[in-house]
Formats: sequence, structure tokens, C-alpha cells
Amino acid sequence: MHEHFLKDQVEVLKLRAARGEISRRGFTQLAAALLGTTALGLRGTAAFAQSGELVFVNWGGDAGLAYDAAYGKAFQSETGITVKQDGSGPTEGAIAAQIESGKPTWDIVDADPFSAEALGKKGMIEPIDYAVVDKAKMREGFGWEHAASSYFYSYIIAYDAKKFGDNPPKNMADFFDVEKFPGKRALYKWGTGMWEAALLADGVAPDKLYPLDVKRAHDKIAAFKDNVVAYWGGGSESQSILLNGEASMALIWSTRARLIEKDSGGDIKFIWDQGLIAPGAMAVLKGNPGGKDNAMKFIASAQDPAKQVVMFNMLGQGPANPAADKLLPPEDARYNPVDPANFALQIPLDMPWYETNYGPALDEYLKIISA
Amino acid sequence: MNVLRPGPLAAILAALVAVFLMMPLVAVIPVSFTPTRYLSVPDAEWSLRHYRALIENPAWAQGAWLSIRIGVVASVLATGLALLFSLGIWMLQPRFAGLLIGIALLPMVAPPVVSALTLYFFLISLSKVNTFVAYDTWAGVALAHVVMIAPFAVVLISVALAQVDRRIDLAARSMGAGIWTRVVRVILPNIRFGILTALFLTFVLSWEEIGVTLFITSVDAVTLPRLMWMGLRDNIDPAIAAISVVLIALVVAVVLTKTAVERSRARRQEKA
Amino acid sequence: MSHPSRFLLLIGPLLLFLAATYLVPFLGVMRWSVTLPASGLGQYKAALGDPLVLTVFWRTLRICAAVTVGAVAAAYVVTLLWVRGGPMQRLVVELCILIPFWISVLTRAFGWLALLSNKGLINGWLQALGVLSEPLTLVRNEFGVVVGMTHFLIPFAVFPLASAMRSLDERVLMAARGMGASRARVFWQVFVPMTRAGILGAALVVFVFALGFFVTPAILGGGRSVMVAELIYLRIFQSPDWGLGAAISVILMAGVGLLLAALMRQVRQGASR
Repeated sequence: MHEHFLKDQVEVLKLRAARGEISRRGFTQLAAALLGTTALGLRGTAAFAQSGELVFVNWGGDAGLAYDAAYGKAFQSETGITVKQDGSGPTEGAIAAQIESGKPTWDIVDADPFSAEALGKKGMIEPIDYAVVDKAKMREGFGWEHAASSYFYSYIIAYDAKKFGDNPPKNMADFFDVEKFPGKRALYKWGTGMWEAALLADGVAPDKLYPLDVKRAHDKIAAFKDNVVAYWGGGSESQSILLNGEASMALIWSTRARLIEKDSGGDIKFIWDQGLIAPGAMAVLKGNPGGKDNAMKFIASAQDPAKQVVMFNMLGQGPANPAADKLLPPEDARYNPVDPANFALQIPLDMPWYETNYGPALDEYLKIISA
Repeated sequence: MNVLRPGPLAAILAALVAVFLMMPLVAVIPVSFTPTRYLSVPDAEWSLRHYRALIENPAWAQGAWLSIRIGVVASVLATGLALLFSLGIWMLQPRFAGLLIGIALLPMVAPPVVSALTLYFFLISLSKVNTFVAYDTWAGVALAHVVMIAPFAVVLISVALAQVDRRIDLAARSMGAGIWTRVVRVILPNIRFGILTALFLTFVLSWEEIGVTLFITSVDAVTLPRLMWMGLRDNIDPAIAAISVVLIALVVAVVLTKTAVERSRARRQEKA
Repeated sequence: MSHPSRFLLLIGPLLLFLAATYLVPFLGVMRWSVTLPASGLGQYKAALGDPLVLTVFWRTLRICAAVTVGAVAAAYVVTLLWVRGGPMQRLVVELCILIPFWISVLTRAFGWLALLSNKGLINGWLQALGVLSEPLTLVRNEFGVVVGMTHFLIPFAVFPLASAMRSLDERVLMAARGMGASRARVFWQVFVPMTRAGILGAALVVFVFALGFFVTPAILGGGRSVMVAELIYLRIFQSPDWGLGAAISVILMAGVGLLLAALMRQVRQGASR
């Protein structure tokens, strides 16, 4: 079974190589990486063989397919445990409702680390078992008590290169400057990253951002409101705002960067400078139906750099395991938010700040944008 | 005889509304032929890939079949319960009618998010004792849909009943007709259209329901709207537009056939 | 009434069903409004003192009222043709009513964006005709939300209206005509009042439905037209504060309940007349 999966993966890679999406060299590397994991996987099969099921809850869309291709199928052939994908969207409240009901049906969730931490303190999330999950396979500082980082994405500036091609924006100050860079803007509806962007534009030094001066950020955003055409709530929305030319610049998720660049034929470009890096994480529900141990095993299995490269290729997620960076050919590394060169230009969001301040700050933010 | 045939002004206004109603079609039909993988209006190149996807990916057909099954069961049950209830209120005119109607309409008035949470807790508690009518099963979804759509049926049937002349019923009663005779022979024929619309509308509501469904299903009972619901952080699949076009074609075919049949029947009656 | 027990057989099933499946867990959820995070009425005070909540309530009311008036008026006209028009008119109207039902909310919202945005078809046409020099902002604001919601809700308003128009007593109209009243007079003074139950029913369905709207405002409002359903969603799921979410829900339902009671009284007075 694992071999089928592998064949399938290699097939996907071949197709992409043929379409010119991955270079020949990149293809060989990836194929080698995949084949390398097989050998290990096959050896493990007999030892781990058991039946069972895990429900992995993600945010829907193509994510289910990608998680299945990258992690789910391989995990099944290694352990015999089926991993089912549920795209409901594991919001903090939804996870709390699962626990509150007394009979959770979810096992692992793709959650914001700060949500997982907050819920963990209420006893709703299992602590990560770092005897099973390997902290060495994560970037420094991105393994939390109740959440294990599984990918990265950034809030970055994307701009209309037809307008600003000669003199592209260089930082958040340029994003908020409609004199130098005329046109409308689009921001993210749920606040994350926007406070930081406003403060950077207002002259706060990157290393002095936290704790955020929310008041100052909101003043900046309130003064800028008339230039904002929309506050997007989803990736496809941000994409269409830029593609339709409704905004000349937008703060978007880096996972969209490659798609937008390709779909616009290079008319829309992006920069990493002053991008705001956000980690995505996996967390396990307390009393999950599939058992804590299996869930931890799944998280560990998803630390494999080759599998994370599949996620990068399918969804544009930056790999959580730094070992994966080297597997990406240079033309792909350009899109990797955590590639060392790109990482250096950006600022990671401070999860402890979000854990305590996100709710009230979001309220204020909504008050301002919807006034 | 039609003593109040709509005049030209009404016809013009209605034409404007009709144009308004059809406007999104201008977008939906082209989008279903887009060659890209996201919602967009195609420029030069048109493609059938999203129609092919409908056929090739069995999930769409499974989702549609599941939604039809749930829709039929839920709309029949909801309309039946609502019919009994509305008849009872109409005939009995109990003192606390307002309160009783209020309870019946509660799921319609409550914010959908609250209903979602409510029905989620209820179905989980059912899951603890059985596996048929439970969380993430088709019967569980149908049950939740009955709750959500029954109030709409109550409104529609009550509106129809409000038009019935009470004197007909009183006449029947004074001639000694029992309750069931009165209901079956006198009242039901007068509100036939109301019942049929309630059936239709509740089916459509169940067919489109997502707010609650998203919350009470997970990996097994994947209805069509759930399948379409491509998450807040991701893509909207143009296959949705292709489904709409297929459904619209079906509706047009059914309406045209119906009209043709009615006309030929009318002509035959005229001749006879 | 001679056989109250039989009438209970009529009213009972739906009420029992709802009590078991909905009412009990629902009250459990609503209890949070006075127990979470601390017991007492603190959540209500917080909700009513929060400018965000008040802005959102006011916006919701404004949008829903506009949508209700627009959708019911538009539906009235098409229903009139559907019920009383010629065969061709009937066919066209029937198609126009039934087709939008099958286009998913998401696709419709996308369609409206494509039509109404600055570079959309409508602005394009108006500019080509020379009516406009600058594009009008038709979407990603409250106007776009009202348009999208009205479009969604017209077909739902049609059915209660059709139900009322179909079952009214034709002889009254004939009598009015026979007594020499003009067509306009018969329409305004006889026909419209006779369809009152339908109008109220349609308004009820549209208004209550509109209150729960979520997807359309989120997409067509450009993210800034937050309505109450979305606010409650936020409180229950996004940055959870279940007590506050429940309190806002209770306040909302109390408001709707009062409105409903008033409407019901109207319907029943209309019926008994």
C-alpha cells in the first residue's frame, strides 16, 4: 500500500516536472527523499501493524487532499491506522464544544498555537509528548507545551507590478503610504498580523513590537480606513481582490503568493520584507477517540521533511522541519516563508501575546473597521 | 374568469424583478466553463474540466444523493408535523396559541450558530446511546434539518389556512362531519397549494443547509453543501458553478415539460 | 371544542418533537448567558454596554428592514404575474423564481461581485454608455449586502404570497368590479388587503431569515459590514466567550419575539375579520 502511495507521489512529481513546475533536479531530489522514507516505512510496517482511525480536522478546501497525500496515506501504510480528513475548521470555540459535549469525535486539529495553548491551560488539549514528537525536527522556539508546529505561513505585501514595477514597495511604511503608492489596499479581517503591520509602518522598530501597542495600531488603521477596499476573510477572496485590480496592494498569506504570481502572469508580485510569520500547529484533543498515543505518533510521522515538501508543493506551507529547506530547489525556495534568506527579512508573531490579548484586540479591531 | 389581470405597469415592474433575479446567471454560466481551478470568468479559453470533475469525482454524486435523501425525509417529516400543528392551532384556537407558535418557530428565530451548537450537543448525547440517529450520520442530519425547517412549514401552512373561510368548516361541522372528515374533505383541498409549497421550500432549505450541518457532521455524512463549503481559508471550487448549471438545466426542463403537459391537457379538454 | 384530546393529537407531535430535540439543549446553551464566566446578569450588562454590539445590532436592523421591504415588494409584483398573468408570463416568472434557488450562496455572491465591482459588468456598461465617468462603488459595502440578500430572499417571499393570492375568494373581486370600481381601486383597496396574511408571512420569513445571514454579508460587505449572526459566531467560535454570545442571542431573540408576537396578532386579526 505504501508503495502505491509512493508511486502516486512520484507520479505527481513527474507531472509537475513535466509541466515545468519543478526542475528536473528538484524532481530527482524529491523522489530520492520519498524513496528514502519508504525503506524505513516498510521495515516498520509489521511492527506497527494495527487497525484504528484518527480524525484530522483542517480548514477545508484543498487542505484535506493535501494532508491525505502528504501524511495520511503514508501513516496508514506504516501503522494501519486510517486518517480521515474533516474540513470543518477547528476554531477555538469548536474545539471547546467538542470537549464540552463529553464525547469528542476529533483527534488532531490544525490549530493556531495560541488557541491550543489557551485551551491546553483549560485542560482541553493534551500536552505534546516530546518523547514521541521530536523537538529537534522543529525550528527553535516553535514547539509549545500543547502544540507542535507543523508549517509556517506569513502575512506579506503583494502589489500590482504593472503600477509599481519600477519602484516596488519595500516595507510596511510603503504599504500605508498612498501618496507614493497610489491605489486601494486590502487587509485581513481577523486582525492577526495587521496590528504589527500598522505599528511597523508607524515607525516602531521590529524588535520593539511586543507587547503590541494596540491603541497606536488602531489609530493608524482608523486613519487609513478610507484607502481599504476590503477586509478579506479567506485566501481566495484576497486573491480575487488583487487579480481583479480592486486593490493595488494587499497583505496576503504567503501560501497564496505563488498562485497569484502565476495566475496573474507575473503582474502581481510580492516581497518578504517585514512579512509577519505565523506558525500553524497540530494539537491533540483531551480524551480523543483514536487514543493519545496514536495521535502523537501521527504528529511525529508528519515531521518527515520529505512529506513536508509535499505540503509545500501542494499548499505552499513553509516546512516546520528545517531539514526540509534543503530539499527545495532554489526556484521553489523563493516561495518558502521560512527559507533562511526569507526568514531573516521577516518577524515572527509572538504567540504568548496572542494567547492573552487576541480576543480583546480583535474586538477593538472589528469595532474600527466596521464603524 | 380573471377579473384582475395585471396591467402593463405590473408587467414592466415584474420584468425588472425577473431580470434582477436572473442576473447572477450571467456570472454562473461562464464561470462553470472556466479553465482555471478557482472561480473566474474565462477570457478566451473555455473548458469542460469542471463538468468532467463532477462525473469523475464520485464525492459529488455521493454528496448530491445524500442531500436528496436527507432533503426528502426531512421535508416530508417537517411538513407533516407542521401541518398537524397548524391545523390544530387553526381549529382549536387555544388560549396560549401565541406561546405555542412561538415555541414552534424558535429554531427559525434563534441565531443559526446557537442552533448549530444546540443540535450538536443533542446529537452527541444521542450518539452515546445509538449509532443510527447520531452525530455524523445521515439520519442525524435529517433529524436536525427537521428541527430547522419545520418552522418555515408552519409559517407557510398558517398563511394558507388564514385564507380559508371558517364558515365552510363551520358548515361542515354543523352538518355533523367529524374532525377527520372536516380536515380531509374540507380544509386540506383548500390549502393544497400551501402544503405543496411547504414541501418544496423545506426541501430546498434542507438541500442548502450548511450552518448547522457543518457542525453536526464530520467525515461520514458529507452533504453537498458541506462538500461545496471549501473552508474559510481556501479555494472555492468552480465545480460548484457547474453543479448550479446542471441543476438549472434540470429545473428548466421540468418547468417546460410541466407547462407543455398542462397546455395539451387544456387543449384536449377544450376540444372535448 | 368537543374533542380536545384529538386536537392535542394535532398540536402535540411537533411540540413534543421540538421539546425533546431542541428546547432542552437550547435552554442549556442559553443558560450560559447567566452562568459563564460568572453567574449573574453581568453578560447582559457587558453586551448592552458594548459599542460594537450596539453598532452591529443597529446595522443588522437597518439592513434587514431594507431587505424585507425590497424583497417583499419585488416578490409581490412577480407573484401577481405568476398567479394572475397570462400563460407566457406565468411560464417566464416561474422559471425566474425557481432558477435562483439552485445556485449556491457562494456562487451567487461571486456572481454579484463580478457584476457590481468597480471593474465589473455594470460599471463597465455604464461607463461605456457615458453615464458615468468614475466607477460607482456598488459592492464591498452595505449596498452590496442589501442587493445580495434581497436577491437571495425574493424567491422565499414569493411562496407565502402565492399561497395567499391563490386561495383568496375570487367572488369578492368580481363583486367589487361589478359595482363599478376601477381596476386600480380593486387592486389597492380589495386585493392587497385580502393578501395581508401573505404579505405578513413573507415579511416574517424574509426578516427572520435575513437576521441569520452570514455568508453573503461577509463576502459582499468587504469584511466591514459585520452583522449580528457573524458577531455571535465570533463569540461562540472565533474568540470564544460563550456567556456573552448567549447573552447577545437572548437579546436578539427577545427583540424578534416581540416583533413576531405583533405580527401574529396582525395575521390572526386579519383571519378573523
